[in-house]
Amino acid sequence: MAPFVWGGAEELAVNLQKNLIIAGHESEILRIPFQWEPAERIPTQMMMVRAFELWNVDHVIALKFPAFYIRHPNKTLWLLHQYRQAYDLYDAGQTNLPPNQIGEDIRTLIRNADNETFAESRRIFTNSEVTRQRLAKYNGFDATVLLPPINDAELFVGKSTGNYIFAGGRINGMKRQKMLLEALSHADSRVKLVIAGPPDSAADGEELKATVARLGLEDRVKLDIRFLPRDAYADYLTNAAAVAYLPFDEDSLGYVAMEAATAGKALITTSDSGGILGLVRHRETGWVAEPTPGGLAEAMSAVYADVAVTRAYGSSARALWHSFNIDWSNTVETLLP
Amino acid sequence: MKIALCSSFVPFLNSGARHIVEWLEVMLIKEGHQVERVYLPEVDAPHLLFQQMTAFRWVDLSAADRVICFRPQAHLISHPHKILWFIHHLRSFYDLWEDDLYRGFPDDAKHRGLRDALHAADTSAIREAKHVFSNSRVVSERLRQFNGVESEVLYPPVLDPQRFYCREYNDEIVCICRLEHHKRQHLLIEALQYTNTPVRLRLCGLSSGPNYPEYLLHLIEELHLADRVTLEVRWISEQEKADYLADCLAAAYLPKDEDSYGYPSIEASHASKAIITTLDSGGVLELVRDGVNGFVTETTPQGLAKAMDQLYVDKNMAKRMGHNALNCLDEMNISWSHVLTRLLA
Amino acid sequence: MKLILVTPTIKASAIGRMACLVTKSLVAIGHTVVVVRAEIKPLFNAPTHDFGVDMIRWDDEQGVLDAAADADAVVYQIGDNFPYHEGCLEWIERLPGLVCLHDFFLGHLFFSWAERNREAADAVLKRWYGEEGARVFFDPSSDPDFIARTCNVAPMTEWICSQAIGVITHSRWGTPRVIRSCAGPVEVVPLAYDAPVDFSAVTAPSPSRHASVFRLLTIGHINPNKRVANVIRAIASSPLLRAQCVYQLVGHIQPAAIIQLSTLASSLRVNLVVTGEADDATLARAVAEADIVSCLRWPSLEAASASAIESMLYGKATIVTDTGFYHELPEGCVEKISHDDEIANVRRALERLFTDSTARTALGGRARQWASTTYVPENYAHRIADMSKVCMKTRPVADAEHFFNGVMRNWGASSELLRASELMMSPFRAETDLNL
Repeated sequence: MAPFVWGGAEELAVNLQKNLIIAGHESEILRIPFQWEPAERIPTQMMMVRAFELWNVDHVIALKFPAFYIRHPNKTLWLLHQYRQAYDLYDAGQTNLPPNQIGEDIRTLIRNADNETFAESRRIFTNSEVTRQRLAKYNGFDATVLLPPINDAELFVGKSTGNYIFAGGRINGMKRQKMLLEALSHADSRVKLVIAGPPDSAADGEELKATVARLGLEDRVKLDIRFLPRDAYADYLTNAAAVAYLPFDEDSLGYVAMEAATAGKALITTSDSGGILGLVRHRETGWVAEPTPGGLAEAMSAVYADVAVTRAYGSSARALWHSFNIDWSNTVETLLP
Repeated sequence: MKIALCSSFVPFLNSGARHIVEWLEVMLIKEGHQVERVYLPEVDAPHLLFQQMTAFRWVDLSAADRVICFRPQAHLISHPHKILWFIHHLRSFYDLWEDDLYRGFPDDAKHRGLRDALHAADTSAIREAKHVFSNSRVVSERLRQFNGVESEVLYPPVLDPQRFYCREYNDEIVCICRLEHHKRQHLLIEALQYTNTPVRLRLCGLSSGPNYPEYLLHLIEELHLADRVTLEVRWISEQEKADYLADCLAAAYLPKDEDSYGYPSIEASHASKAIITTLDSGGVLELVRDGVNGFVTETTPQGLAKAMDQLYVDKNMAKRMGHNALNCLDEMNISWSHVLTRLLA
Repeated sequence: MKLILVTPTIKASAIGRMACLVTKSLVAIGHTVVVVRAEIKPLFNAPTHDFGVDMIRWDDEQGVLDAAADADAVVYQIGDNFPYHEGCLEWIERLPGLVCLHDFFLGHLFFSWAERNREAADAVLKRWYGEEGARVFFDPSSDPDFIARTCNVAPMTEWICSQAIGVITHSRWGTPRVIRSCAGPVEVVPLAYDAPVDFSAVTAPSPSRHASVFRLLTIGHINPNKRVANVIRAIASSPLLRAQCVYQLVGHIQPAAIIQLSTLASSLRVNLVVTGEADDATLARAVAEADIVSCLRWPSLEAASASAIESMLYGKATIVTDTGFYHELPEGCVEKISHDDEIANVRRALERLFTDSTARTALGGRARQWASTTYVPENYAHRIADMSKVCMKTRPVADAEHFFNGVMRNWGASSELLRASELMMSPFRAETDLNL
């Protein structure tokens, strides 16, 4: 974990713990700080985890690099993150590993260490199909996809079909809220947008505000840039006409998408968004648009074209989501049979 | 500020060491700070010590403005602004080295070498701290003696002390803490047979195993005290604890040679109740002053019995001592505001 | 304490002689010592020094393990000679211990070991000396002279010292590599040695002794390192020396060398006496009668020179090359000769010392004074005992490093990565302070 950063993986751990306890187990979370800059530090961070001694523990469920290096005879992996900068991001040239022999050596080290951990684990699950494929491609290990359930499903019961499209989740460049704003200026005049969530940095929030001002969208956009209390977030979502979530090439389904489906809301995404495409079937459970302002504008306008259709898409999204049978009770059962 | 609270832990073992960290976390968040609680596993096996300590040296919390370290060997973590709230050493290598039974490994050249290496590494790491606090004078003294380091005593408060209240002073002496041999609940039972008044005893808490509670039961039976002793071997909720303390005549807490005063004594003080303890209870004596906010007796059943009788016979004294106990906390500046002021200075 | 000493024991070994002295001192102090014979198996039949304690052969697996089971420390005597030290290599990884390092350069030891451990040897070379070192070591094309091509690039000091929990060595010049690679303490202790020759048996000068004859002596295994040829040339370049100097060589010498040196001497009309291997009485006489002893050495790769120490203990005026161990000897105890312009320097020194008997006697006297109080076995024994105790304190740190090295090895860490991570992997290593 990166100290002071709280994201989806951290939420998952907390909810997994909660549900393990509900199932009658005792559960604790071990959050291991990890510093990957500079890259030369990574080997000692890996060795650090390898030296930890666990006593009084029957079972370990490990979620991320390098925490999954921890030694225990009964270790199950629910792989949320490998160190992608040694794998697919390395291939894409987006890595902090230096472009020299040492960088190569660190990459080899990570792969060997990962393989050792995968081999010594009892079972390997991944949180998405994408992660499963990467694991097979780069490390040659098989895994079972175990999609994480949403937390507090009871909050996400669809209420009204409002007049706005809701875009929730963290605000940063990869999540592309800015593209939604650009699309809005091309879309039907009825389309209204609510963007709400915590910005990764102040600059991310400022950029959205500036874009709204530049495009003159003040009367059609509500920006609520902050960490939202859960019920405020649920309120936005359950009263929306549709929910938009279009990150660039994300591994997993995305909580926003799962929560929207739980609440029976039609989904808008783009063709290059990655994992979410498991939930969004074009003109069935929502819209899959070209990743351009024009393509998105079309999808956003379509939400308002026929409310009944939009609602039907929402119901289909919910049905599809339910068909995955992803809830905490099943998840705990799968992880600890 | 971004503050990392670092401590070693044993999974699923909840102890006072966790309270000091987790309660501080609550208070710091209340003050508007960002807090990261870093619990790292640690096992005291001699042959594994230094590799785990090396791992601790590699923990990187540079994202924090300040790091506060508690249970050993968390103090090994390196940070430009490291504060220690030192609660105890690895005692088998320090003050309990002479205790063959406690030590658990032989006093031979190899282990003496390890001990010396540990002292050197600890001393070096402790000296890196910008400020060293301890949770008692007992621990401060050990830091001075073994590591040559001066430290400031910072007494650990209890969370939400307002949940402890005073309702009445009935006829029972209450001891709410883990039922363990070194907590010496058996002495209290033995004491009852020497009392002249019908003073009662309530002992409650969990135990690490069945042996000691069984022994206590056996003792109660043997001494025919079933009608005067309530023994509850179970987890006591915070509310139950507050209620027992609210009504009791006084509290008893007499662990053998404890590092610090222990939460039971400060909880009783918040409930305005006197505390019975013994001469060899260690850190508890930093809180309890004989005749002021309780009794510090000989470590004998007879000595304890005398104190119990005195409280039973003179309820006004019990009340007076109880109020003194509450005031002592102010006099000793045992409060979260003081703790935060000192830690964030 | 109970100590295991893994060492050559045969009479031919100077290290064996030193270990014997140290063993006796350790026992005198009150420690228990068991000796494990480190020489190669064929040498087990050779006569040994008289250690006075139980001896086990290094290949007696159970015997060694049993002895080590209740030992407080294991001490390895290591020098650059595989036939004398094979046993040390066999046990040092399984029974980590203190190393008494007699040679900073261990190329010959390593080379022989590598013959049966080539893959491991390549890994060791890469680990400490990179691709370059690995390439150069076994490849004579860069320089056919083994020592010349390896002593700076891959001296193999680190190979042994990284396996030691502490190192005692005998001079300072080679210690940087030792300190860098040893996870434990490093100390410089004067080599324990003695001067066993009994002069009382030498009563009168032999009949061939002339008053105006200058007697120069070199003892020990006569090889090119001992600069005999250049000493002959130096004598030849001085009419005085040529007329009056007799240069005697006592000790093992190859027939080819006898021919080469004798031919050189006679062609230059230098009076060379090649005695070869000699019995004790002959050696005693040679030492008693020598005016000057030549302990010149180039290159000089040992941590201490037993022969120079011996010469000083005899109170002889000794000439040495100003390098390595000899350079660290105090001024006025020996005559230090710069290797540059060696022949001229040797000539000047010999002329001066042969003609000035006062200076010669004084030099020898100071040498004996210095040597007799410095190279004391009892001191060495105490330092071994103290170092063993100190190692108990550094051992946990070394063991932790060993654990992490194992983890990195399992992960296939490259030697570059290991080298780059070195500092980070040793957060507890104290600044090794040499006992200066």
